[in-house]
Amino acid sequence: MNKKILLALYFIFILIVSCKKEKEDNDDPVTSAEVLDDFANILAKPNYSDIQEKAGLLMTAIDSLHTNTNSINLINAQIAWRAVRVPWEQAEGYLFGPAEDNSYDPATDTWPVNTTELDSLLASSNALTLADIEVLQYSLKGYHPIEYVLFGVGGSRVAAELTVRHLQYVVSLSQSLFNATSALVTEWDSFSVQLATAGSGSTRYATQKNAFLTIVGAMQKICNEVANNKMQKPLDHLDSSLVESQYAHNATTDFTNNIVGIENAYFGRYNSVYGRSIHNLVADKKSSLDHDIKAQITSTIASLDAIDPNYGYAIFNQQGQILTAQQNINALFDLLRQLENFIHANITN
Amino acid sequence: MRKIIIPFLLIVFVILLSQCRKAEPFDEEIYDERMSGGSQTVFDGTSKAFTHVFTGLSSYDERIHDIGDEGFEQTFITSPAQFNGGLGPAFNNVSCVSCHHNDGRGFPTAGQQQSGLLMRISFPGSDEHGGALPVPGYGTQVQDVAIFGKHPEAKVNISYSYNQYSFPDGETYELREPVYTLTNLHAPVNGSYLLSPRLAPPVFGLGLLEAVPEEQILALADMNDANHDGISGKPNYVWNDFTGRRELGRFGLKLNTSSIMVQVAAAYNNDIGITSHVFRNETTYGQPLQSDDLMDDPEISDSILNAVKFYIQTLQVPARRNVTEPAVIRGKQIFKDASCSSCHNANFTTAVNVGFPALSNQRIHPYTDLLLHDMGPGLADHRPDFDADGYEWRTTPLWGLGLLDAVNHPATFLHDGRARTITEAVMWHDGEAQQSKLYFENLSRADRDALLKFLKSL
Repeated sequence: MNKKILLALYFIFILIVSCKKEKEDNDDPVTSAEVLDDFANILAKPNYSDIQEKAGLLMTAIDSLHTNTNSINLINAQIAWRAVRVPWEQAEGYLFGPAEDNSYDPATDTWPVNTTELDSLLASSNALTLADIEVLQYSLKGYHPIEYVLFGVGGSRVAAELTVRHLQYVVSLSQSLFNATSALVTEWDSFSVQLATAGSGSTRYATQKNAFLTIVGAMQKICNEVANNKMQKPLDHLDSSLVESQYAHNATTDFTNNIVGIENAYFGRYNSVYGRSIHNLVADKKSSLDHDIKAQITSTIASLDAIDPNYGYAIFNQQGQILTAQQNINALFDLLRQLENFIHANITN
Repeated sequence: MRKIIIPFLLIVFVILLSQCRKAEPFDEEIYDERMSGGSQTVFDGTSKAFTHVFTGLSSYDERIHDIGDEGFEQTFITSPAQFNGGLGPAFNNVSCVSCHHNDGRGFPTAGQQQSGLLMRISFPGSDEHGGALPVPGYGTQVQDVAIFGKHPEAKVNISYSYNQYSFPDGETYELREPVYTLTNLHAPVNGSYLLSPRLAPPVFGLGLLEAVPEEQILALADMNDANHDGISGKPNYVWNDFTGRRELGRFGLKLNTSSIMVQVAAAYNNDIGITSHVFRNETTYGQPLQSDDLMDDPEISDSILNAVKFYIQTLQVPARRNVTEPAVIRGKQIFKDASCSSCHNANFTTAVNVGFPALSNQRIHPYTDLLLHDMGPGLADHRPDFDADGYEWRTTPLWGLGLLDAVNHPATFLHDGRARTITEAVMWHDGEAQQSKLYFENLSRADRDALLKFLKSL
């Protein structure tokens, strides 16, 4: 009896000591090697695995839509499409490594959709199998052609409009997308070692400084791309047809997730799991910059949240909110330039 | 008193005169050799090293650069389209960035989405301007992709044979030799044709190269090898469709283009199938079965073309790295001793240009002489291109060489990407560069490594 009690107490003790509060913001001193290791293993790999998982769910949802084409299954497929966009757009917050080397961004996320060719393709005798899809131009496969089929122009798609050809096409598209996301996971598995061993055996990064500058450069690039290209171009022309992700009215959400991706990169975080991060390095040595970056990320996301999800509507009716968000993103870009200087000054390996 | 003042003044006058010096260039040591692009040098060793805008531009010019950046990344689609239409009918790729990844080099494959290699084609002889003689139904470039319902002009096949070699000290290396063939030709070709592979090169620093005064390039030319060093150096005078003049070629792997504007407009036209005010006809013009039947030319506006040209013109050059490492310093000396520097010329100074201060009077280190050289039979394409014969290629600018693997991983080298390492690229050199190659071949392992370290510092 005593033994049983002791054993039970022992297990309770083990359970208690094993419990770990989910750390939100680790302010302990960290090394640059630890930061790179956690960037790869706490952030990037889980992020890319999440994309793969959600691409699999999209594939399943589209299979269900194919089997039973009704409005419920169409809505489920649309939800699944929006769901996979979240981790993908967040990963765009730090686009380097295999995603950059092997052109996964254009391969799966080319905009615009070649709708003229798409219509010709659907009207043709092409069997639209996976093999047929894989040889198509990037503008005929990936996220946006799937979006075009599932949501339709203006987001007006109803299940009854979907033809057999539509469904065959989108089934193969979703398989192709899942395969691409799976390949990306595999490539990041080996690339993560290159990142984690920067400056100590990595063949891609001779120094840790170089690895950090690559990360920060990628964060800067997405700022510039969102504020001065994706947001600005439709505004310049006052033309909602220039808005990306326009069929699902998902552009504003995409922009926000790009900035969340920057936030993830700064905090070495994914899905509320925090690693040792660039934030820790900066907080330790230049707390004012850390404070400014954190505050600017928060205000940038808040300013994007103030824009209507339908960006094609916002360019006509919310130009003030758009300008504020652009100013915030550009201010974040300027702080990331300071972060670059910080890396130059403080990462010596 | 006067007797004293006059000699005193004379002495002062002589001293003053002795202080006068004729104006002369500063010593080499005064310059910071890291500054490959002069004041337009960027310190970035990452994958984005080739993508930086000039400093010192007005906010208006920066905006034009950004618009050009968008244009460079823009994916074209089939017309009719609300925007970005005009692709093809026959083409090689769908955007500038598809071939020039990160403003860098392409991948040495053809006909695929990521491919950066295209195939020039012509008949022996020359056209009315001295350029390559077009093949009816093909022009001077094979477009190996087409929009739906049209035919790619041909399939470009690339195969390699692999041969093993050893340095005298026993270190081994491998060279892969490509064979290029065309299959699935969309129209018969009456006669034997010439092919020339061209891999998309990096696009940074071109504004500075365009600003190098012609006399500096011509001063390096030695067409008849008058100094008997075995190295000639020949300018390529080419036809400019935009100005309607014959001009000094500066761009293209055989220096067959004289200006960034023509380079950009020709790439739009030949590579993507986009017409502009410079090249108004589709490459399939005159081929009824390949026509898009649309009256939509020019397919890009003058403004976008100008902005993309300006974007290319205003991309900074990455700085050199590790210049004080002893091995790099040693390698630099070997580079000179091996006469590599006879063609890979380190220094130019751009012309004074009061209208464009960012480009004006910059001392740059591109490591090219912007001239043609016979590179031997192994690299020969046997296809003339204006004054370039079938053995001649331009001297590749080496600035940014050491960053290619970061920007375009895995890096490849030479005009068609056959070389997978810098060592392989050196060992492909022949013709006028044969002595330099032999010098490299017979170096000690340590000295070969030092030379490679120097090259990777560029």
